[in-house]
Amino acid sequence: MVSLTIDGKNVTVPAGTTILDAAAQLGITIPTLCWLQKVSPTGACRVCAVEVEGVDRNMTACNTPVKEGIKVTTQSEALTAARKKIMELMLVNHPLDCPVCDAGGECGLQDACYELDAVRQDYSAVLERRPIRYDWSLLESDPNRCILCEKCVKVDHEIVGADAIAVVNRGEATIIDTVDGKPLNCEFCGNCIEACPTGTLISKPFKFRGRPWTFTVTKSVCGFCSTGCQIEYHSRNNRVERVTSSDTTYNNGNLCINGRFGYAYLNTPDRLTVPLVKEGGAQVSADWNRAMTGAVAKLKEIVAGAGPQAVAGIGSPRVTNEESYLFQKLLRDAIGTGNIDSEARLGYAQAQAVLQGIFGCTGASATIDRIDRAQAILVIGCDLNAESTGVEYRVIKAATKNDARLVLANMRNVKLKKYANAHLSYRPGAELALITGLMKAILDEGLENKEFIAAATSGFAALQGALASQQLASLAEAAGVSEASLREAARYLGKKKDVAVIFGADVIRGGGVETVKAVANLALLLGAPMAENGGIFPIEQKNNIQGMLDMGVAPDHLPGYRPAAAPGKDLWQIVAGIEQGTVKALYLLGCDPLATFPESDRIRKALARLDLLIVQDIATSELTGLAHVVFPGAAAAEKSGSFTTPDNRVQCLSRAVTPPGDAREDWDIIGELISRLTGAPHARSVAEVTVEMQEASGIYGGSCTLVDGRCSGLTKAMPAAPATYAFSAATVPAAPAVEPFTLIVGPIGFHNGSMSTRSANNLTVSPAGFVEVASADAARLGIVDGGSVRVTAANVSITGPAKVSSRIQAGTIFAPVHFRDLKASSLLPANATSVGVKVEKA
Amino acid sequence: MAQVVFSSWGRDIIDNRAGGEAKEASFRLPTTFDGERSMAAFMGWDGIILYSKDVDVPVMAAEYMKRVQTQYVCGKCTPGKKGTRVLMDALARIVSGEGKEADLATIEDVAELLKNCKCTLCPSSSVPVRDAVQHFRADFLAYIAGNRQPSGAFRFIDKYTAPCQDKCPAHIDIPAYIEAIKEYRFEESLAVVRDNMPLPSVCGRVCPHPCETACRRKNVDEPISIMVLKRSASDYEWQHEHHPPMQPKPRKSKTVAVVGAGPAGVAAAYYLALEGYPVTIYEALPEGYGGGMIAVGIPPYRQPRHLLQRDIDIVASMGVEIIYNTRVGKDISLPELKQKYDAVFLAPGAHRSKPMGVEGEDKGYKGFLKGGIDFLREAYMGRPTGMGKKVCVVGGGNTAIDCVRVALREGADESTLLYRRSRKEMPADVWEVDGADEEGVKFEFQVLPTRIIVDANDQITGVESVRMALGEPDASGRRRPEPIPGSEFVVECDTVIPAIGQDADLSFIPADLGIDITKWNTVVTKYVPLKDAAGKDLKDGMGNPLARTLITDLDGVFAGGDAEIGPLTVVACVGNAHRAAKVIGRWLEEGKAYLAEDELIEDILTYLPVYDKNEQVPWLDSAAREHQGEVHGKERASYKNYQEVELGFTNSQAVREAQRCLRCYRVAMIAL
Repeated sequence: MVSLTIDGKNVTVPAGTTILDAAAQLGITIPTLCWLQKVSPTGACRVCAVEVEGVDRNMTACNTPVKEGIKVTTQSEALTAARKKIMELMLVNHPLDCPVCDAGGECGLQDACYELDAVRQDYSAVLERRPIRYDWSLLESDPNRCILCEKCVKVDHEIVGADAIAVVNRGEATIIDTVDGKPLNCEFCGNCIEACPTGTLISKPFKFRGRPWTFTVTKSVCGFCSTGCQIEYHSRNNRVERVTSSDTTYNNGNLCINGRFGYAYLNTPDRLTVPLVKEGGAQVSADWNRAMTGAVAKLKEIVAGAGPQAVAGIGSPRVTNEESYLFQKLLRDAIGTGNIDSEARLGYAQAQAVLQGIFGCTGASATIDRIDRAQAILVIGCDLNAESTGVEYRVIKAATKNDARLVLANMRNVKLKKYANAHLSYRPGAELALITGLMKAILDEGLENKEFIAAATSGFAALQGALASQQLASLAEAAGVSEASLREAARYLGKKKDVAVIFGADVIRGGGVETVKAVANLALLLGAPMAENGGIFPIEQKNNIQGMLDMGVAPDHLPGYRPAAAPGKDLWQIVAGIEQGTVKALYLLGCDPLATFPESDRIRKALARLDLLIVQDIATSELTGLAHVVFPGAAAAEKSGSFTTPDNRVQCLSRAVTPPGDAREDWDIIGELISRLTGAPHARSVAEVTVEMQEASGIYGGSCTLVDGRCSGLTKAMPAAPATYAFSAATVPAAPAVEPFTLIVGPIGFHNGSMSTRSANNLTVSPAGFVEVASADAARLGIVDGGSVRVTAANVSITGPAKVSSRIQAGTIFAPVHFRDLKASSLLPANATSVGVKVEKA
Repeated sequence: MAQVVFSSWGRDIIDNRAGGEAKEASFRLPTTFDGERSMAAFMGWDGIILYSKDVDVPVMAAEYMKRVQTQYVCGKCTPGKKGTRVLMDALARIVSGEGKEADLATIEDVAELLKNCKCTLCPSSSVPVRDAVQHFRADFLAYIAGNRQPSGAFRFIDKYTAPCQDKCPAHIDIPAYIEAIKEYRFEESLAVVRDNMPLPSVCGRVCPHPCETACRRKNVDEPISIMVLKRSASDYEWQHEHHPPMQPKPRKSKTVAVVGAGPAGVAAAYYLALEGYPVTIYEALPEGYGGGMIAVGIPPYRQPRHLLQRDIDIVASMGVEIIYNTRVGKDISLPELKQKYDAVFLAPGAHRSKPMGVEGEDKGYKGFLKGGIDFLREAYMGRPTGMGKKVCVVGGGNTAIDCVRVALREGADESTLLYRRSRKEMPADVWEVDGADEEGVKFEFQVLPTRIIVDANDQITGVESVRMALGEPDASGRRRPEPIPGSEFVVECDTVIPAIGQDADLSFIPADLGIDITKWNTVVTKYVPLKDAAGKDLKDGMGNPLARTLITDLDGVFAGGDAEIGPLTVVACVGNAHRAAKVIGRWLEEGKAYLAEDELIEDILTYLPVYDKNEQVPWLDSAAREHQGEVHGKERASYKNYQEVELGFTNSQAVREAQRCLRCYRVAMIAL
């Protein structure tokens, strides 16, 4: 600890604390402009200059560590004069377009000038105007307004890792521009806009949409991926016009393209605004009463004729906990069927059951902020940038700021590779071989966490025995990586106190239960569960998959994971039931299996056989065209309720705007249906449903309170960690079949699910699907960048434009999952993220 | 040389403009820039020196500030970016006749404000401008009054440098690579290092880092750990499996042969290859031992082999062919090379041990090894060294220290170092001596071996030595050690390794080629005759002419490295070879071997020099120098344990250390 005096007051702070932070502890505010807590100090603006006794120059408080016994002065005539003159210099040739500047009213430069009394201008220089970058997508840059605080560059480099913008040129010509001077080519997360204190970097979709102070700001939670970022909707005239986040949030104000720009899907012309019913083969608009009466009558008729088991429902990770709770209540209690499932059946539900069995927890073993300070991180079968960008930011922080060792196991050369100490580029389908190989290497080198294994696990000897009979060389060969690289990765991960194991879709959806068990074994070997900073983290792309499962949207368990007395049909059994004619009515809540589900051709055929298809969604699609009844629902910005992240944070969303037209919040629609079916009264508010859902689940509690304008206070009880963690029996991995080509289907960073493909903003930077082909393969097949490629699996083909790339292994191709036009996942079998295919020039 | 007309350099005002008896002043500057053109003025961070009264000071000041602002100001702090622009425009207004007297006040005001800058460039650049305004006010006022027109008689040459960068023999842009680390940009940092240093893993580990002796942070507390930061940048690349990004220019047709794959040979080859020249290196050692003295003279616990090899492989991947097992002069002759290639660069190094001058050393006794460098080579290559169990190494340089430490790792029970002066006077790096101490090496300081003692089988049993004491100062003022009569004693040992120095074996250069060789066995190269006011040639620290073109007396043959400089350091060889590569390029393209203006001013500044150890640097000394991790304990020197001893910084530590850098850039400008 270091003691010092600031403005005559004594303070004691840890060594390494800056003068700025030490002053803050005393309640002394030193003016700043370029300082941004979440990035390294820049020291560019110089307004935080302070005097230190005995030092013959001013020191900047933001980047000067304290020293024992120093006497600091933060206010003096000389300092005031210097700060004022520096502000005046900053304003030399600053444009005077404040009246139409996007930052007007929320400008850090305006505030600083006012605060530091820079009210006149004594300095002058020859005026040189720099061209405004109108040619960037989503962002616009006016370098003339720039004060070179570098916040944008630092956020871009240190937090996002896109490295798209930099300080370029020299002298007065110094500006922030793209590294190569070409139009901006980045992730378009817009975090630089948020960081910019002036109107230099602005959002094009927001430009001239209104003065900042005229918007209603609603603090809510992002409805795209499962990171659960805290956001603010800015709305006016019942339209969301921008989304921001504050640095004081859990996510430090950092968002991704979906969080910041994806809101445009709310305003898509495809929105459903009235209920639709099918009459004589044609869909017509209807009022709610007519649509509901029809749906209830038909449901009753089917139940009467074929029994409640002829009805099934598929829920959605997009809707709130309250809505999921009501949905299962509708099916189980109002209709009497246990046939309820969701897209979690593509892997997450099974994976989480495995984790629950071993670690006792649902979802992750710890909250994601624990990743920040992990010493070693394994990211396996997961493109974090696309699956959970906010978690990727944390991994980047751990790797760059906190010296974590990072091992990336991914079939593709994804963004995290540049931070990885080792990249295990394994063969498609070889996740199990790879994980087994890693375990083998860890044991071979004696790098397992012996203390943890001895104290808190069972079944280690059996695992050890099973691995002893396997050869590292053959495991490496099956995985398509070198033995040396497995050993190297083992050394990076082994013998660390804090290990985080992060795994995503290629394990959860592609690898299956045995692979998830192997990941769990690996995490146990490394002692991840007892890590203070680390743990085991399953990653899911959609926001509320955890809450949906917690609420019992699954055939085998009720809310709170109480087992179902008689398990109903799961997703694929429902599809089979429709095909067999035993399931006659299907209720799809916020779920479009034709867009991104595997085997979607099969599902399409099945849906046509239904006597009743109810679709509750927010936009028209091929699916709504097939429905007998369409209920127009609400999007995340248009409703209240709660979401739960896979790391078990329960967060409230707040309604920013009302649903368009006659559309209603989904809990309200389902609630009324329950009421119509059972005669019980319909809940009047979502709060009522929240209480009911908490009681029914037994694991949710707390009550909503506003903290700093943000609704919080809901909790989820976590079961106690088991006394001993049991290693699972090792499965001997089989080498994956050798295919001439393997198609990998997965998400990309520019989109989330299929929802963002309705956002005009996202579409400006990522308008359509593509087929990524390795350059060597492209050359061999005569495929050129942008040319058409046909990909065929079994009897299904898709065609799309080629993207020739060096980011994937030869013999593999990649297609993004999001696009309805490409329908990449239609080629996949039920539980897989990759499939053997034929590739040809089309 | 003309007398100094005016000087404010070093804050001492000498003003001989008024006539009368001239005040004497001398600066470490040559009388001419290039042996021909006289120096008219020098302007920089510490003031103005005028040699010619005809220099138009306002014009020079305006030009200086324009260059500073438009070419060098980084724009990364408000006073620097905006303030220097205000200065530049005010000075430009004045010399264009549109200035006002108030502009002079603005210049003084802004110059004062620049003290608040983030780094040293802008404040230091305002120093001579302020001097100009203060001491040449009449000239400025004449412009303001419209009574004067600029005269374009002088030519200005500028140089952007920093004390550390100037002191580094390879002139690596040290502030830039440190700033990149500070910004968490390790790849960019390494790219900056590579601009002047193709062996970053090596010079991030074993460099004696003269830069750190010229670090301005030393004037505040302790120097920046410049060397280890270089290692951090270098390690980051391989620890993240990144591929080096360099791309050589399109292949040219003219070819270059290089003799020796040591630091000089490899560095010259790298920079020539980047320019597109096909380069072939002839190396006497077998494959796997590229790197010359680094490979066989620096033990792996200081320089891991796989990282040296990685650096060599990267150089090779730029289009350099290395032919191993080929000794020039034996397997291929120099005239053959001369005939086969368009240019030849001689960089054979200094691999020949010097004799010790002790009775019995030439008798072929068992246990008397040829020399330290030979011992290290044999040990490195895994061949029998002839070493016994009690090893005595004679010498005080890094090679001697390497020998005693390697002897332990090769299984010696006792490893003793004999040195004729005190520990403090050892030329070896302090940390190397401390390292040996920690590993259990015994030291005998201030002793002189006088006789080798052997048994009946001519096996060494000891070294007779005499203790030394400092005598009276000699002509040079240095007190020479002298034997203390009667202090003879015997150090018991079975092995003696003389490690008192080495020189180049230049026997491969036929006498009739016309390549001149000095009496110290170094190759003579041509130079630019820079002289001081007394008419003496300016010399570098090794006594060589300051500004050398590195071409020998034989056209098309160049020389560099230890065989040209005299045995020195990796970094000196790299700097020298990089210079050679540039001159070779000019020779190949233009048929002339000459130094560019930028190189001349670089050498002139180094002679000046840029660093001033007496400068008062106001700064709060609240961030102490970071120290890299290290393996401790005697086990680190156990049998065959060549694991690296120093562990480098963690990345966060590197960033913290980089944050200490004061970024001491400054701009010098010469008027001719």
